[in-house]
Amino acid sequence: MTATKHIEMHAVRKAFRFFTLEDLSLDLAPGQIMGFVGPNGAGKSTSIRLMMGLLAPDAGEVRVLGHAMPENQALAKRDIGFVSDDMRLFGHATLGWHMQFVASIYPGWDAQYAKALIKRFNLRAEQNVSGLSSGEHTKAVLLLALARRPRLLILDEPTSGLDPVARHEVLNELMDVLRDDDRSILFSSHNTVDVERISDCITFIDRGRLVDSSDKEDFLERWRRIYMQVPPGTALPDLPHLVSRVVDGQFVTLTTDRFSPDLLAFLGANVREVHRMSLEEIFVASVFHHREVAGL
Amino acid sequence: MNSLTYKLIAKDFHQHRLLIAGTIAIGLISLLVAGAGTLMLFNIGMLCWLTAIAAYGCVLAMLSISGERKERALLFVLSLPLGYRDYVRLKLFGVMLCFLAPWAILTAGAVVLVLAKPGMADGILPFAILLCGFLLTNFSMVLSCALFARSEGFITLVIIVHNIAISLFIFLVGPIPAFRDHLQDASPTWGPEFWIVLAVEAATLFVIFSLPYFVVARRRDFI
Repeated sequence: MTATKHIEMHAVRKAFRFFTLEDLSLDLAPGQIMGFVGPNGAGKSTSIRLMMGLLAPDAGEVRVLGHAMPENQALAKRDIGFVSDDMRLFGHATLGWHMQFVASIYPGWDAQYAKALIKRFNLRAEQNVSGLSSGEHTKAVLLLALARRPRLLILDEPTSGLDPVARHEVLNELMDVLRDDDRSILFSSHNTVDVERISDCITFIDRGRLVDSSDKEDFLERWRRIYMQVPPGTALPDLPHLVSRVVDGQFVTLTTDRFSPDLLAFLGANVREVHRMSLEEIFVASVFHHREVAGL
Repeated sequence: MNSLTYKLIAKDFHQHRLLIAGTIAIGLISLLVAGAGTLMLFNIGMLCWLTAIAAYGCVLAMLSISGERKERALLFVLSLPLGYRDYVRLKLFGVMLCFLAPWAILTAGAVVLVLAKPGMADGILPFAILLCGFLLTNFSMVLSCALFARSEGFITLVIIVHNIAISLFIFLVGPIPAFRDHLQDASPTWGPEFWIVLAVEAATLFVIFSLPYFVVARRRDFI
């Protein structure tokens, strides 16, 4: 028997006046960290709000932790820790009050872990939330989500307001969460460095459409930039799985998303260098290719 | 209602505890001023009492619902294990209870003032009770509209209507002969007009208060 997927979205559509999320399907298995990457306005937050039951899809199906959303969101949210860069705590109350409040709602609240996180994040329980800096506020919201020990963490751009040190602390904490094999994280960001660091699978989204979704290693293995020098007048043959081709005199740069030794053998002695691509380079190339193919 | 709903209602009370205490204090001081002796002090005291209840209702609805949305704490509340129907229900009951606490105390205070103050005609009591009932109905209108509204402009309009409605009530219901002609009586007259106006207030309160539960709670998109 296979374990219930933590997130299942199938052919989901959600239309607004100026934006439509179209035919989005994705799965998140228990124990996985999915990096959900897209440029600003790609539909990341809309997708996440559909997962949280805050929006209802016009078509398609959303299930989280086995519960249909948005109908059974109250049940699903018992086991979800949701953090968004848009989220604010109650300014009038202290962090300690929020901790007591959340602890009274979630039976799984881990007081020891919460104390450890306060120390690690350099927060003060007695401080009023309105006096927290932006980075401290993000860490406070994360603390409240992490200490309830949820099975699923949904994080919408959680590191966007953080300085590099705080980002490092938060990402380390997220990786710690994954020591428990049954927990999973969906982590949205346009910061590919963060995503590359902690994710084991990655989904690219752009202009409301899914661009690509795969294991991180698979992405890094199959994308390559190939630098060639071809004699003048030589025509390059049509190559399959070519994402881009830039010609500058004798110098040709090819980008492929299906790299294999066979391709190198086919290109022959003209190949000068083959470079692995960073996730950011893959993301940018992938988005531009998708826009070109889809005519967006 | 489940335990989470109760906790969130308690949260609203905790959040507004100073506002509640302040309104009760100002309202009671206003009643003391009203009972101090002269007609001018009575008028000043009652005007302050009326303003305290009316302004409190508007501020409460703004802070609890529109403020929560504007300051983005709504997303935190909605991350908790509750659905939108639960949210609408807890806001309706929680904010109404936050209003009822000072309203009940200040209404009782006004009734005590009328009955206990030597030289004040008890005949004013039916109108005073109807005015208090109207303040409650009027507040439920602001509360329901705050749940409907997604723009600050709309809420501002509702508050203007709320304030005008109080003046209209005083100037339209006050001159009804059944009330006007008995204001100076030594004992109150509970005629049919009193019960009709009270029934209209109760029915309006019920309809306005129920509306969000049947309309807003059926929205499919929270945010």
